[in-house]
Amino acid sequence: MAFKAMTIAAGLLAAPFLVPAARAQSAPPNTLVMLRAYDADNYDPAKSTARSAGEVAYMLADTLTSIDWDMKTVKPGLATKWTVSEDGKTYTFTLRDDVTFCDGRRMTADDVVYSLKRFIDPATRSPVRWRAGQVKEIRATSPTTVEYELSQPYSELPFQLALFFMSIVDKNSVETLGANFGVQGFNGTGPFCWVSWTPRGDFVMKKHEGYNWGPPIFNNPAPQVDRVIWRVIPDDNTRLAALQSGQGDATQYIPYVMLDSLKKTPGLRLVNQPNYFWDYFLGFKVDKPAVNDAAMRRAIVMAVNRPAIAKAVFFGAGDPADSYLNPQVLDFDPESKAKLPGFDPVAARKVLDEAGWVPGSDGIRVKDGVRASFNLYGISDMQWSRMSEAIQADLRRVGVELKVQLWDATVAWGKLATQEFGAFVMSYPYVSAGDALSLYFASANTPTPNRMNWKDADTDKWLLEARTSIDPEARRVALANVQRQVTEANVWIPLVREQLWVASARRVQGVRAHGIYGVGVYKGLDITVGK
Amino acid sequence: MRLLRRLLRDPVTGVALVLAAAIILAALLAPWIAPGDPAENDLSLAMQPPGEGLLLGADDQGRDMVTRLLYGTRLTLVIGAVSVGLGGGIGAALGLLAGFYRRLDGVIMRCMDVLLSFPAILFGLAIAAIFGPGVLAVVLALSVATVPLTARIVRASASVEMGRDYIEAARAVGMGDRRLIWRHLAPNCMSALVVFATLRFGQVILLGAALSFLGLGAQAPTAELGSMASQGRTFLFFAPHIAVVPCAAIFIVVLVFNVLGDALRDALDPRLGF
Repeated sequence: MAFKAMTIAAGLLAAPFLVPAARAQSAPPNTLVMLRAYDADNYDPAKSTARSAGEVAYMLADTLTSIDWDMKTVKPGLATKWTVSEDGKTYTFTLRDDVTFCDGRRMTADDVVYSLKRFIDPATRSPVRWRAGQVKEIRATSPTTVEYELSQPYSELPFQLALFFMSIVDKNSVETLGANFGVQGFNGTGPFCWVSWTPRGDFVMKKHEGYNWGPPIFNNPAPQVDRVIWRVIPDDNTRLAALQSGQGDATQYIPYVMLDSLKKTPGLRLVNQPNYFWDYFLGFKVDKPAVNDAAMRRAIVMAVNRPAIAKAVFFGAGDPADSYLNPQVLDFDPESKAKLPGFDPVAARKVLDEAGWVPGSDGIRVKDGVRASFNLYGISDMQWSRMSEAIQADLRRVGVELKVQLWDATVAWGKLATQEFGAFVMSYPYVSAGDALSLYFASANTPTPNRMNWKDADTDKWLLEARTSIDPEARRVALANVQRQVTEANVWIPLVREQLWVASARRVQGVRAHGIYGVGVYKGLDITVGK
Repeated sequence: MRLLRRLLRDPVTGVALVLAAAIILAALLAPWIAPGDPAENDLSLAMQPPGEGLLLGADDQGRDMVTRLLYGTRLTLVIGAVSVGLGGGIGAALGLLAGFYRRLDGVIMRCMDVLLSFPAILFGLAIAAIFGPGVLAVVLALSVATVPLTARIVRASASVEMGRDYIEAARAVGMGDRRLIWRHLAPNCMSALVVFATLRFGQVILLGAALSFLGLGAQAPTAELGSMASQGRTFLFFAPHIAVVPCAAIFIVVLVFNVLGDALRDALDPRLGF
């Protein structure tokens, strides 16, 4: 198509003009320059939940466990192995004995205990503290053994421990730097060490000498490049021009519209991670007028043309979602997929007719004096404004009015915590079915992140069962129940599954897309930079 | 008729007049001449460049640009006309009062000075914050911004007229204030007002488009030239027509009304005479 050719042309034309600054600061040899769209507010893994903090944190620090490329299998990290007590409440982790921090100090079980306790400590104010489970006590029983005792079983613990929030950090560094930990410095055990951070500019790190304890999912457990620079280039065209002209080596921040043209650009390599879990959905507040009617919600799900939206908005870089969760995710229930109605506007109108929603004079349906009209809140960006407008048009065709109100990211989260809207749109990363479902559907999580006000005793019972079961099969069954139940109740419209692509320049070898918590390049191992 | 003949003496004005008539006619008849519904989308056509079937292509939602353009122009003209009418009406009344009653002059005109010190965009932001973004917010902001300008111009010409003999004469025969203002003063200030309103119409459309561009005006899926331009700017590299079409329309509308305003001023100015 014409506009694709123009993209390439625009990129190539822009290249010589837009990035002279980047060229001036030519990187030292054997340096990997990662390009990205935005910076994080800080790099304290326990305090930030941003993907941009995660991609750096995974390089600066290690976690007890790691996740394989299939996004399901838990592999060793700093812990070589772990056992679970019979009641499922106590995990005993055996740690590696050869791990040192960047400052050369040996890491011991005390550091692990300190880091995990710090993460859980309410004073740290981590918004994702729940990921650690109901902790009773974490203790070091020997320099290489940590006991993690829970007040109730939590079968997802080894999985959750792989997330960067629970990175192991150096107590001395945390205490010396205080509030500036992760802002002015950082001492971790990761493959790379903190050199400097210029906010909204470069984050520079150097190889951690002697590091050879990378997760076994890599061919080589030691870093191959001497330096890594994470460089922020906010403008899409400039960023991709920098990649094409060799001033950057790899990036996962690729606008969807440019993906196709990048695939055809000589000198670039694109890799994809099929097991990537970052979904876009619309959630209904199930107790608000119009959308409190299950038939209305069902009709709306049928009225929205998800494949057309995925194609038009994501330019082929997103897959239409045909189930609440990605079929590749741990504990996905295939049967629930069949319960999600497909696109069928004729049937949608029939469902509404049968439920007593009669078209009014303006074409919008009415039932018992209630207009089939509700407002939609979301974060204002190009994807959401286009998607919500498409959904709005789809709903109008079946006689439902959607009033779209998208907010700037600075106020959106506050607005999304209110009860002012009938539906909301959001995208989120997840690691497993249990992770996604307990986050959004537990009644304890109202008003956020359970913005649907979905309060159901059965759901809660199954979620608890899943969380506390020691038997993987029992967990799978419990989570399957939840997936079937919420699918049947049409609490969401699953919309699109984002694809993860990482583009890298030819001189770079070994770039693989991982995708844990949205992070494309995980730990930076196996990557080599040629001339 | 004589005015029209005088206007048509200049070919540029003639063209502007014809264009203005065509634009207004197209806007009025939009529901009948537009090929479709401005909100009706077909995602499979999204960003289709202009060509066969779709004369001006389709926007990012796959909506026909010709239809959007017609409806967008319609709404933009309505916003302009209502704002100029409302703001101009209030402003003219205030200007006449200030010009007629010397004791009100100071109070009214100082208030107008205060209003003048706020940029229209700021009004737009404040009003959108109170009523929520939408066409109403834009119309109110533009009306409020038009009031002081009109008041100034009308007051100036009213002050001049007040010194004329016919006012004295009317007073001498015992004519009441109300009658004097409406029957004699107002009609004689009219030519300045008409010229100003025509010129202001172009400015208001530009300002309205700016407010809509900032997201304060017409909300999706309503077609409005400013918001259409705003929506299209993201795709400038891939589908330039989505932004270019409404921008070109704004350009033409504003240019046409500016040319007309200038021509009207020339035609109505007695000094430039015959």
